[in-house]
Amino acid sequence: MNTVSRLRTRGIGAFMVLLGLVTALGFGLVSGSSARSSLTFNPVDLSASAPVHVGTLTLPTVIANVVLGLLMVALGVELLVRVPRRGVMARFGAVALLFFLALLLWAVRTTGPAPINFVNVTAVLVGASALTMVLIFGSLSGVLCERAGVVNIAIEGQFIGGAFIGSMVASTTHDFFFAAVAGGAVGGLLGLVLAFLSLRYLSDQIIVGVVLVTMLSGLSSYLNLQVLTPFPQYNTGNLAPNLPIPLLTKIPVLGPVLFDQTGFFYLMILLVAGVSYALFQTRWGLRVRAVGEHPQAAATVGIKVVGVRYANVILGGVVAGLGGVAFMASQGQFQPGYTSGLGYIALAALIFGRWRPSGAVVASIIFGLSLYLSYNLQTFQVPVSTEVLGMVPYLITIAVVSGLIGRVRPPAADGVPYRRD
Amino acid sequence: MRLELRGITKRFGTLTANDHIDLTVEPGQIHCLLGENGAGKSTLMNVVFGLLHPDEGEILIDDVPQRFANSGDAVRRGIGMVHQHFMLVPVFSVAENVVLGFEPTRRLGRLDHARAREEIRHTSQQFNLEVDPDAIVENLPVGLQQRVEILKALNHDAELLILDEPTAVLTPQEIDALMAIMRSLAASGKSILFISHKLKEVRAVSDVVTVIRQGRVIDQVPPTTDESTLASLMVGRDVSLTVAKDVAAPGAPVLELDDVVVRDDRGLAAVDHVSLQVHAGEILALAGVQGNGQTELVEAIAGMRPVESGRITLGGRDITGATPRAALDSGLGHIPEDRHRYGVVMSLSVADNLVLNAPRRAPFAAHGSRNLAAVRDNAEDLVGRFDIRTTSVQAPLSSLSGGNQQKVIVARELSRPLEVLVASQPTRGLDVGSIEYVHRQIVEQRNEGLAVLIVSSELDEVMALGDRIAVMHAGQITGVVDPSTSRERIGLLMAGATGADHE
Repeated sequence: MNTVSRLRTRGIGAFMVLLGLVTALGFGLVSGSSARSSLTFNPVDLSASAPVHVGTLTLPTVIANVVLGLLMVALGVELLVRVPRRGVMARFGAVALLFFLALLLWAVRTTGPAPINFVNVTAVLVGASALTMVLIFGSLSGVLCERAGVVNIAIEGQFIGGAFIGSMVASTTHDFFFAAVAGGAVGGLLGLVLAFLSLRYLSDQIIVGVVLVTMLSGLSSYLNLQVLTPFPQYNTGNLAPNLPIPLLTKIPVLGPVLFDQTGFFYLMILLVAGVSYALFQTRWGLRVRAVGEHPQAAATVGIKVVGVRYANVILGGVVAGLGGVAFMASQGQFQPGYTSGLGYIALAALIFGRWRPSGAVVASIIFGLSLYLSYNLQTFQVPVSTEVLGMVPYLITIAVVSGLIGRVRPPAADGVPYRRD
Repeated sequence: MRLELRGITKRFGTLTANDHIDLTVEPGQIHCLLGENGAGKSTLMNVVFGLLHPDEGEILIDDVPQRFANSGDAVRRGIGMVHQHFMLVPVFSVAENVVLGFEPTRRLGRLDHARAREEIRHTSQQFNLEVDPDAIVENLPVGLQQRVEILKALNHDAELLILDEPTAVLTPQEIDALMAIMRSLAASGKSILFISHKLKEVRAVSDVVTVIRQGRVIDQVPPTTDESTLASLMVGRDVSLTVAKDVAAPGAPVLELDDVVVRDDRGLAAVDHVSLQVHAGEILALAGVQGNGQTELVEAIAGMRPVESGRITLGGRDITGATPRAALDSGLGHIPEDRHRYGVVMSLSVADNLVLNAPRRAPFAAHGSRNLAAVRDNAEDLVGRFDIRTTSVQAPLSSLSGGNQQKVIVARELSRPLEVLVASQPTRGLDVGSIEYVHRQIVEQRNEGLAVLIVSSELDEVMALGDRIAVMHAGQITGVVDPSTSRERIGLLMAGATGADHE
């Protein structure tokens, strides 16, 4: 056991050292000694909730990136020489964030006398927070289902269903509360279908999940064409309003990112805390995890395995449905195909996060940032193709799943049908 | 607690697994249920524990009829079960496993870890079953895991404990410790239903023995009944419990392992610098509790698992890292441990299974197509010679009983020229009659000069067959001893004590 986990930790450490070297050499030394990079922290927001003003930070690109790179190498080397009791993933997350920062610094470097390019750090984080939020909803859904032993690969379908219904309800009622209720209900209904087919008829959970996604994406395109296009009043386009928390929004950087958000964002934070607590501190959580690890053992002490699985898959569906509504609310309206695989990336975040809510949050932040940057790289005129950055979540997932950086261990009965008798 | 079963009948389709079984367990009694694999013991226990519902009959506790909807009901009425395959969540702590389903909680369903720990400490002290409540179960040795299972049952206030084949995974010393626990539990008034097919243990610990065969109660006898009487009650005919064999006449070493290291699926060294020699005309029996590297060692010899370092030679030829085909071609016969996974193809016919190791070779195939007549002739011949009971050589293998399936593998492996036979758990799951047969075949081959390596976790089998006994623990050979060595000594070696009388 110990040898294996030490090997895993070393793998992660080596990967971090590699990222650090890429940063120091690739983004640092090649930049040219006269290059400067500027960071600003002020959102273009003149309302009352605007944060305290912070000045612009201009750094020599070479020195900044070499320092960042060496910091990353140092964090990696630590994992090579010792195994910390906890926080390996958090360290990895920190290195990934430093890497993105270095990438931005390199992308906006200028050699002219006056800085003509800026990175608005706060704007980047606020922009990425919407994607991150959706990924967290998705991976929390995965945590709920897979901890009970059912693989929910239909998260993408539940996103689509939630977004579609959410848009119709929001457009007609002009109230995102009702949209959330309706979207959550659709997600839960899809969860019920998944649970029914895989628990009652013991169908292959992966196949049922893929079928649900395919069905939802086809159905939503069809209904979009038949209903939303001829009756645009059902898809009017509405962004969920921000609900700034007084005072807290004044904190530079963190204020706009964490405390000037929509209701969905705050709901997501409550859900992460709630699921994390319930799963690891309560009787309910102990039973759920027992069902996901060893259903026979749970059954012999009178726990109703199938009942627990039904409840969790439906609950997971509700959470994913809410994620779909949240995504729609950040985009303004429904468009066919615009979830573009976010549900699968959420699953990847679940795996990378080792089936823990906290890990899923770290993974979702990394994946959300890399997705956001890949969508918006043109803005920074970066000579890196957007497709390459868009691949990051998948590359990390492949590395994690194949054991390159830390083997992961799913719940033992994850995806295994349970037969009574 | 007094448990009474009246006329319990359980059918699965046309099979009657339990046929009007009557049984009474008195308070403070250790009642043994003795029967072969497939006699219906486990079915009966699952009925008592509420996992299966009887088609007929009643279960009475202290003369009150009971109906169990599920095992939770049975647990609430004071029945606890220690399953053969432990019902423990490996990644949970001891405390979490013990309280699962009956968790002490504070407000909002929050687990009360302190109270759980306290409950366990209390029960451990009361019954003298020491175990650390915070240990993670998968890190505990098997004997301790079993103790956790017992503790779990006691913590749920069990008055009757069912122990289903509890000794299968234990070392002899752990078995002694378990028996001491059983006696002290009985002395404190708990009733125990002990399920076993091992005669020595049954005689050592029971107060009364009920023998069942083919789903029926055959007889109830005192534990003083001698072993051969118990065996014939269990099987239904006279059986010989010992293997008749002459003194071995070992020749030159045939299979040689030199400092072999093999890793398991998790990347750990499961075989840790093992050196062994198997000579022509002798049986080397490899003893050890399951999971101490025997499986990986055999897989390495058979070419199914890479060898990290060291050398394996067969008749002087280096077969280290050879493919399974190359290993077979160089004269290795292999009876694998998991016969369904590696030994046979259940959906293929008996005839096809009998040529599974040589389907492309003459006379069974030529010019890229099979010679079905030769395959059939071969099958007819082997079915006759090895007494394989089947309706036809074209019948699918799945239609045969476990004993006859094993005979198919034995027949296939022994029907071609071999230099060494490696047999892993060759009699696991077989009835006493088939065990007798397989043992006789193996001894015969050894008499004809074959080198034989037997791997078995059954100490009786090891002692009956082995001309020399090598004991394996934690991937290392802790000793190579003579079969006249005491069981206690071998037990100590199985537990990891290194051998002073190492050859």
